[in-house]
Amino acid sequence: MSLEDLYSEIILDYSKNPQFKKIIENAEEYHGHNSSCGDEITLYLNEKDGKILDISFDGHGCIISQASAAMMCEILKGRSVENAKSILENILRMSRGEDYNKEVVEDIEIFEDIKNFPMRVKCFTLSWHTIENFLKNKGADK
Amino acid sequence: MKSIEDCKYSFPTLSRKIAGKNLIYLDNAATSLKPFNVINAEKNYYMLNNSNIHRANHQLANESTQMYEGARKKVKEFINAKKISEIIFTKGATESLNLLAYSFAISNFFEKDEEILIPISEHHANFVPWQQISKLFNIKINYYVPEKGVFNEDNFLNLINKKTKLISFTGLSNVTGQIINIKKIVEKAKNINPEIITVVDGAQYVPHIPTDFQDLNVDFIVFSSHKMLGPMGVGVLYGKSEILEKMSPFLYGGEMIDYVTKENSTFNVLPYKFEAGTPNVAGVIAFAQAIEFLNELGMKEIYEHTKKLTKYALKKLSELDFVEIYGPKDDSHYSIISFNLKNIHPHDVSHMLNDLSGIAVRSGHHCAQLLLNNMNIKSSCRASFYFYNTVEDVEALIEGIKKVKEWIK
Repeated sequence: MSLEDLYSEIILDYSKNPQFKKIIENAEEYHGHNSSCGDEITLYLNEKDGKILDISFDGHGCIISQASAAMMCEILKGRSVENAKSILENILRMSRGEDYNKEVVEDIEIFEDIKNFPMRVKCFTLSWHTIENFLKNKGADK
Repeated sequence: MKSIEDCKYSFPTLSRKIAGKNLIYLDNAATSLKPFNVINAEKNYYMLNNSNIHRANHQLANESTQMYEGARKKVKEFINAKKISEIIFTKGATESLNLLAYSFAISNFFEKDEEILIPISEHHANFVPWQQISKLFNIKINYYVPEKGVFNEDNFLNLINKKTKLISFTGLSNVTGQIINIKKIVEKAKNINPEIITVVDGAQYVPHIPTDFQDLNVDFIVFSSHKMLGPMGVGVLYGKSEILEKMSPFLYGGEMIDYVTKENSTFNVLPYKFEAGTPNVAGVIAFAQAIEFLNELGMKEIYEHTKKLTKYALKKLSELDFVEIYGPKDDSHYSIISFNLKNIHPHDVSHMLNDLSGIAVRSGHHCAQLLLNNMNIKSSCRASFYFYNTVEDVEALIEGIKKVKEWIK
């Protein structure tokens, strides 16, 4: 396992991509933090009729956590809450090294190797665990 | 006779290859490496002795008890305690501090208007227990806030008054590497209030600095075996017997009992009063071997070597304009260097130091969130040295940091 497998060009690019790193005014806010390293994230979400209309994040963290948050925003924008739940479930399975549906997680598959870095899994999952709280409050089975 | 130059060969972990390179271990503030004699002592105990202590009188139990109590004597001599009964074995410095905090609280050591004084720069293990007994038992607590993470002895002393019943502070910060003048603080604190109880977190201090506890005149010092070549799961609470005598036990169970009736129990004498249950016998016996190893090298030599190494590392690191160093950066800066690379998160730095150069450093908040807030950072990298580290290790760190900077560009 080389450094390039984890820190790929795509991940490095996403970690610097400012497109989703911003505050959305009057949006729902969800906070997450990583108690072992002090990383923090705030997610901003606008949801209507079971659809995620807009999503962004703010906070600070390492390349892995920043790239993960940016990619999460990109994949979830415009998706239904139910679809997002399915993506989340498969992402978390992937991070634990369990079977998961590659079609559902789409481009996030590039993080598959994270399962081999137990100390970095929590960097990758910070944004996903944060949105978990949002998704729990939404949708049919709330 | 062991020497610092040759001692690398005593540590099997150093023969490991990491990312195809010889491991360079710079995470000694988290835990030290373990030498062969310690590993063998732990193994041999389970192979040959494996017996509960202070109970049966078969030969295995006799030997085990003798070895365990022999270890206690070894610790007593190493720190120059007055009495052997002042050495209490725990599972680590953290447990020692919790024992102290809870025992003081349940023994009603604090009068209504008396207070505890703690620096906010402490490791969580020397902060949270005091904060929590303050909440649970309604005990006043006051905090000393350093400036930019640097502890100022006079400013700390200025907060001590006749109502200050207890102070607890580290002898060597696990984040900034600052050595605190324990003797001076204890002496001045006792001048202000002769009744004050002084506690020192020696987890980083005792492994490095030649220590005479009677000379320091501190009432309590805690430390852990695993940061000074010994096994994990063993720690020491040293305390002056006249205070320990007045304290209630923290844990109840076997071995700490004198006599039990349905209505009441009386407790064993020191140190057994505070050692309930079967202790980590193998660990304690192996810890004695760790002390043997340190004694053979000489604590003075260990200190001088690491001092030189720290100074060199500080100089080389400060030559890199993209590196920010935290802590005093003066003569009190010892063995631990916290730093950040500009615009690169410490988690990425430590990961890349490992994967590109085989260098092990820590990154995070080092269990001292309040101190990092005080320095206005969320996390840092931390390189920490011990006597088996060399000038070449420091040079490898500098090269490794340059490589990270290059890689991320």
